[in-house]
Amino acid sequence: MERSLRISHVGLRGVVGKGLTASHVVDFAAAFGTFLEARSAVVIGRDPRSSGAMIRQGVIASLVACGHQVIDLGLVSTPVIQHEIRRIGAQGGISIGASHHPAEWNALKFFGANGTYLSTAEASELLDIYHLKKFAFVAHTDLGGVRTETDALDAYLDRLAGEYDFDALRRKRVVVDCTNGTSSLILRRLNERYGFQFILINERIEGDRFAHEPITNQQTVSLQLAPLIKPLSAEGGFLFDVDSDRLAIATEEGRPVSEEMILPLLADHLLPTGPGKLVITNLSSTALTDEVAARHGGRVIRVPVGRAAAMDALATYPPEEIAVAGEGTGAVMMPRFRFIYDGIASMLAILTMMDRRGQSLSEILAGYPRYCMLKGQVPLVSPKVPELFMELEEAYRNGQLCAVDGVRVDWPDRWFHVRVSQTESVVRVICERRGSEPKELFDELLDRVRRLA
Amino acid sequence: MRTREHRLKIGVSGIRGVVGEFLTPALAGNFAQAFGTYVGGGRVVVGRDTRPSGEMIQHAVCCGLLAAGCEVVDVGVLPTPTIQVYVDAIGARGGIAVTASHNPPEYNALKLFNRDGLFFNHYERSELIDLYHQSEFRHALNAEIRGISRQVEEPVRFHFERVLRHVDVERIRRRRFRVALDGVNGAGSVVSVRFLRDVLGCELHAISVDPAKPFPREAEPRPEVLGELAGIVRDRQCDVGFAQDPDGDRLAIVDNTGRAIDNDDVLALAVDAVLSRLPGDVVVNLTTSAAIDDLAARHGRRVFHTPVGEANVVQRMRAVEAVIGGEGSNGGIIFPRVHYCRDSYTGMAFLLDRMAETGQTTAELAAALPQYYRHSGKVAFEHGRLGQVMQQLERSMAAPVVDRADGVKLIWPDGWVHVRASNTEPLVRIAVEARTRQRADSLFATARKLV
Repeated sequence: MERSLRISHVGLRGVVGKGLTASHVVDFAAAFGTFLEARSAVVIGRDPRSSGAMIRQGVIASLVACGHQVIDLGLVSTPVIQHEIRRIGAQGGISIGASHHPAEWNALKFFGANGTYLSTAEASELLDIYHLKKFAFVAHTDLGGVRTETDALDAYLDRLAGEYDFDALRRKRVVVDCTNGTSSLILRRLNERYGFQFILINERIEGDRFAHEPITNQQTVSLQLAPLIKPLSAEGGFLFDVDSDRLAIATEEGRPVSEEMILPLLADHLLPTGPGKLVITNLSSTALTDEVAARHGGRVIRVPVGRAAAMDALATYPPEEIAVAGEGTGAVMMPRFRFIYDGIASMLAILTMMDRRGQSLSEILAGYPRYCMLKGQVPLVSPKVPELFMELEEAYRNGQLCAVDGVRVDWPDRWFHVRVSQTESVVRVICERRGSEPKELFDELLDRVRRLA
Repeated sequence: MRTREHRLKIGVSGIRGVVGEFLTPALAGNFAQAFGTYVGGGRVVVGRDTRPSGEMIQHAVCCGLLAAGCEVVDVGVLPTPTIQVYVDAIGARGGIAVTASHNPPEYNALKLFNRDGLFFNHYERSELIDLYHQSEFRHALNAEIRGISRQVEEPVRFHFERVLRHVDVERIRRRRFRVALDGVNGAGSVVSVRFLRDVLGCELHAISVDPAKPFPREAEPRPEVLGELAGIVRDRQCDVGFAQDPDGDRLAIVDNTGRAIDNDDVLALAVDAVLSRLPGDVVVNLTTSAAIDDLAARHGRRVFHTPVGEANVVQRMRAVEAVIGGEGSNGGIIFPRVHYCRDSYTGMAFLLDRMAETGQTTAELAAALPQYYRHSGKVAFEHGRLGQVMQQLERSMAAPVVDRADGVKLIWPDGWVHVRASNTEPLVRIAVEARTRQRADSLFATARKLV
């Protein structure tokens, strides 16, 4: 049987109608309504998937039934929801959307009072409430309500305007692939209200058919975006996933850049300017970040993959010590933006970097050594996983071992990370080397994993 | 006593319960998804009355319908008959009214309509309940999920048009009737004001017509709770006072002297008005007054009696092609030429038209009806004892005619006793009627003692 539903610390995600049903949504929203303190204000919004209309109804019903006031932002990017939670002092929020997954998918992402993802402990409590199914529904006289909020987008843009030099940035001529998602609402407004010159493609909001897979990587960038850059004499290309928390880029020459580069780029930009010297990322992202951080006297903290682990790490350090945090997926968050994964803010930061340095994207990228990463995945055989990890630890004892999330082994010029995905039933294999492809190590690892997984 | 208070009931009458712990969004959503599965997708009209939980339940219902691949037509807060007419008028696959009708405000429920805008009949409901229990819902994929459209004006227009076709609007308007209205702050609040004041040209003295406010009185417009309306009728010297229930299907009437007219007489007035100008038979439930039989006899028409419940009455009306029908016990007037539903608007328009036509006052019209005395009451019962009680009644009260279609009805030439289990509550309902007060009193006392 096809298995697409995933209810975990990450939240709730699945193919709508084939795993993820209305009933899951209604119950999970009721669990979140129970998790929040009584009579909370909760901000919600959704991405353009058709199923979002259905899920929105279920989410509102359950939150109102728990006595909460729902502030509905309608079609909106996830970072806008997160900023709005803080702006209006809400106690939480729900983003309805499956981000970088195909159109058939949908998901709920939950946020706490500061607009950030739930910590591991909070996510775990939410999950317990969901399974217990004893929800805190209130009497008919105490029911909550719904109101629509239309100022959220402009308030978000005001914040961006306070942080970036719009006068300098609006002259930048860049092409943006909106992947038919909600980034187009933000970018169109930037063009309208501030006179930016974003050239938008796939800007039509679509509920069912996205122009391409909504993933932020070299492959999707190379499809429609990259070939347009030179003919349009643009200074670069940017591509967002459907809810614009992730970003991928291409240079002014039309060359797609690995999504792994977003974090080191921004670390390079932010480490010299702010007081923070720490970069928080997961065990699977590029080691270039370590090298860039070292240039600026910074340090990289690596945590298990997943947003809850990143939130836990953020909570461990004083915010002023952190320069930037992010993943290798193109999702990066900056302290000045309250640690919200935000593709739009990341794009503006990269444009600022180009402007300040007076360099093109390819010139900036030329300043980094070459790191080559190979990624693969093997279908999972759960009972064999512990054995697999033990064998890997045994086989690569000559390196530096880290076993907090699967197995990661480091050598001076290369590393690998083998772990079980939280979102799919696969074992992920990632391998990177400074200078050239770690082909041999990668093949060897894949062999071992295939044999044992 | 093995009888408990039922704060949630999922059964052949649909789903009904106290909102909060009992009637949850999940229940409403699942039930709506079962409904969406049953009607097989397509357009479904959704509306609600004004109780505070309506919005929440409607969101859950929309979620379930969309999940089943239906296209939702949201008509917002509207009377149930308006919703039913609209389902029929636009050829939708079905409709759901989020309303607990005359039940107290802490309750809510789903009224389910088929593609003709009729209440689900017994067989449709059983199929739906089976589907619900089996949890084999249609789950639409992303590409199959439709949206929600809003229709606010059109349903009201369609409903008004259908009602007004059957009365002489001009002659009503010319009279500039002085009308009092108690809208119970229900779904009819806004629509009824427009109907009476703007369409029928009445001088309107309305109370409780703010849909944002709670029900100011008991939701069921029983004569006993219409004191304020009666006061207005007297103070303002109104020609008539109308009262609705929260979803606008039931109608109660206060005459020009400030006296609340019995529910059965409200139906009788409508039946008399219709039979005096249209040929056809009448269908009522078993608890309805024999006044209807007398009136029908005057016009040379037949009367058919069915078990209690709108669906039962409607089913028989369709079968015999009745010209009018209803349930005297609850102020429900069903006039098929508008729609097979209980409709307070048809009732209001007919009465005003009849007054304009005859020049008689409401009190005079009511006085001309056959006179009967009635009593009704309810008693909590123990499971398993019901059959015994019925047999005991039959034996002890030996009547020439016995009807066992719905509980037991014992019929004498000068009166009747009807004892039945309620469809919605764990109660036995007793109703009696007789030509004299003494006979009614004694029948009621005997029946009550036996139950």
